[in-house]
Amino acid sequence: MNEFITVYSAEIMRRLQSRTFWIGLVFGIIGIAAMMELPRFFASYTIASKHVLIAGDPKLVASARPLLDKDFTIVGERRSTAAPSLDELQSRKASAVLAITGGAHGVKVTVYAKDPSVISASRLQRDLVPLNLQLAARMHPEQVRTLMQVPVTTHSVASKFGTAAQADAARVIAYVLLFLLYILIMVNSQLIMSSVAEEKTSRIAELLVASVNPRALLSGKIASSATLAIAQMIAWVAVAYLIGAQTPPPGGSPAEGGDMDVFSLTGVSSGDITGFVIFFVIGFVQTSTLFAAVGSLINRTEDLGSVSGPLFLPVVAAFIIAMSALAVPDSPAVVVTSFIPLIAPFVMFARIVVSSVPAWQVGLSLAINVAAIYAIAVIGGRIYRVGMLLYGRAPRPSQIWHAIKS
Amino acid sequence: MLRVDHVRKEFGSVQAVRDVSFTIARGSTFGLLGPNGAGKTTTMRMIVGIYPVDGGSITWNDSPIDDRMRRRFGYLPEERGLYGKMKVREQIVYFGRLHGLHDPEISQRTDAWLEQLGLTEYANRPCAELSKGNQQKVQVACAAVHDPELLILDEPFSGLDPVNAEILLKTLTELKKRGTTLVLSSHQMWQLEQICDEFCIITGGENRASGTLEQLRAGWPTRVIKVEPPSDALRGIMERVPNARALQGNGALYYEVPLGTPYPALLRDLVAADAVTRFDALEPSLQEIYLHTIEASTP
Repeated sequence: MNEFITVYSAEIMRRLQSRTFWIGLVFGIIGIAAMMELPRFFASYTIASKHVLIAGDPKLVASARPLLDKDFTIVGERRSTAAPSLDELQSRKASAVLAITGGAHGVKVTVYAKDPSVISASRLQRDLVPLNLQLAARMHPEQVRTLMQVPVTTHSVASKFGTAAQADAARVIAYVLLFLLYILIMVNSQLIMSSVAEEKTSRIAELLVASVNPRALLSGKIASSATLAIAQMIAWVAVAYLIGAQTPPPGGSPAEGGDMDVFSLTGVSSGDITGFVIFFVIGFVQTSTLFAAVGSLINRTEDLGSVSGPLFLPVVAAFIIAMSALAVPDSPAVVVTSFIPLIAPFVMFARIVVSSVPAWQVGLSLAINVAAIYAIAVIGGRIYRVGMLLYGRAPRPSQIWHAIKS
Repeated sequence: MLRVDHVRKEFGSVQAVRDVSFTIARGSTFGLLGPNGAGKTTTMRMIVGIYPVDGGSITWNDSPIDDRMRRRFGYLPEERGLYGKMKVREQIVYFGRLHGLHDPEISQRTDAWLEQLGLTEYANRPCAELSKGNQQKVQVACAAVHDPELLILDEPFSGLDPVNAEILLKTLTELKKRGTTLVLSSHQMWQLEQICDEFCIITGGENRASGTLEQLRAGWPTRVIKVEPPSDALRGIMERVPNARALQGNGALYYEVPLGTPYPALLRDLVAADAVTRFDALEPSLQEIYLHTIEASTP
């Protein structure tokens, strides 16, 4: 235990003293801040681009105005339907003039815009249909609007979500957490692999394995890396939460029909967080042990890229299957893969967040994957123990097999 | 006492160690000799537990060596390596901790080793900035900082300049005085001759000769006789010694004679023949014994 603590503390210090850790942490924070702020920035640009003037007969404009209010910000009205000058648009802070004229066949809209692509013709058509019906059928606009709306009520059956909005929110949260899981496992497993390769290529490995049990050495490395990865994640989520709490999502809260803001964490349950931590630890230990074992077999740090390639495949496959699981969490293929080691941490986590997974399936998946950790640790530990001292040419499969059996 | 009893190690179809046995008394210094590929490093790795033995046994004080016991051993591998970015002092402290040392003892011992090996001025520099010789001394400190009961050093003198080799030799002598059991392998025979109490020569993964230098010499079949002056009369006497063989030499006569040649009778004959100014019976050096043993074991 003392050996483990010594290796664990030393590895934490080494990582904290390395530039890679701090660059990863800072770039992660900058990336998250950018991910959160850029949509708001572009949203604000989009809102500005929807500032319009309505032109036409005042009675017609008065009828059209409430219909257009939902999709456009009306900054003024004018009687003339002639094309505006650029100066006029700029002075009235509008991006377009919507010139509305009425006739025997209904209303007609002519758009004069600085950038025609920002004014959606289909939205205009949809918004002004009640006005067309009003003119054609001579009905009151409110009556037309009521007729245009068909109330739809959704009731869930055997679902953990009460409404469609909640289910959608869970999918977005699951997507973000899966992405975080993927990045943390991939980045930190590679860091462990690099660390092992560095110890081997710098030839300190023999001094180390003579001083400390290789199992303690390997587990100390993995535990320290997992600790720092969780610390990194907490820092990223805290930054996201602070930014999210200060700035409301564009368009108001989800309840008000605005965009959902996953970073405010309002939709993240404690169960999701617990599941995330459990499956992160399981996935991280499985993947990083494999990466460390394979890292011990290489003789040059230049070989890291080519050797790590095949190891990425199960993780990438797991991520892709987990994406499918968000849409169809109970399909037979998704259910089966949610038990398979290396893949289950992603797929089972996705299923848990977006659906009601039977408890026995969660328990079985956990049991299989914890057993897999033990098997991977035993096999990986043996490869690591032998691989660390194999110099010269790359070991043959028969040598690796011999190491596993010994 | 370290007992290596008929150990064997195979890597696939390669038999790295076939049958090696020796016993090292506690507190003594042991030289493991052999050409490259003889099995020295594999034997050392088996002693420190890096490799499990495929056959035979290794015991320390009559008990099988376990992880706990192994922490009281020290090992300097042939392949040198350090954490390049880690500072010298931190590196030694780290290895001290791995061997179970705690503060403040670890700090005191680290400082003592830095001073002993002349590394104090480099204490806070990253290891990668040190010369190869100084890096090697840092590794010695890492291997010995915990004051091990058994210290195994694989080629400790290779790559060291004469000054640093002398510092290391003094350090090892100091450890020997303190009662540390030392196992060394080296191709620098004169250094081993100075410090080791016993030797074992292995080739092809098997013992070829072992014992103290006196015991090894006792098994040596010939001796060299040096006689001065190199006169014809004295040469005539030497030529009459059964199975004597003349060797090249300047200013003196050198003859290889069989072990057991009666020196008093020979000296009387020489004195009777001419005015002998010098008569030496030269003992074989470790290097000669080593080379002869290797040659004899080569099929």
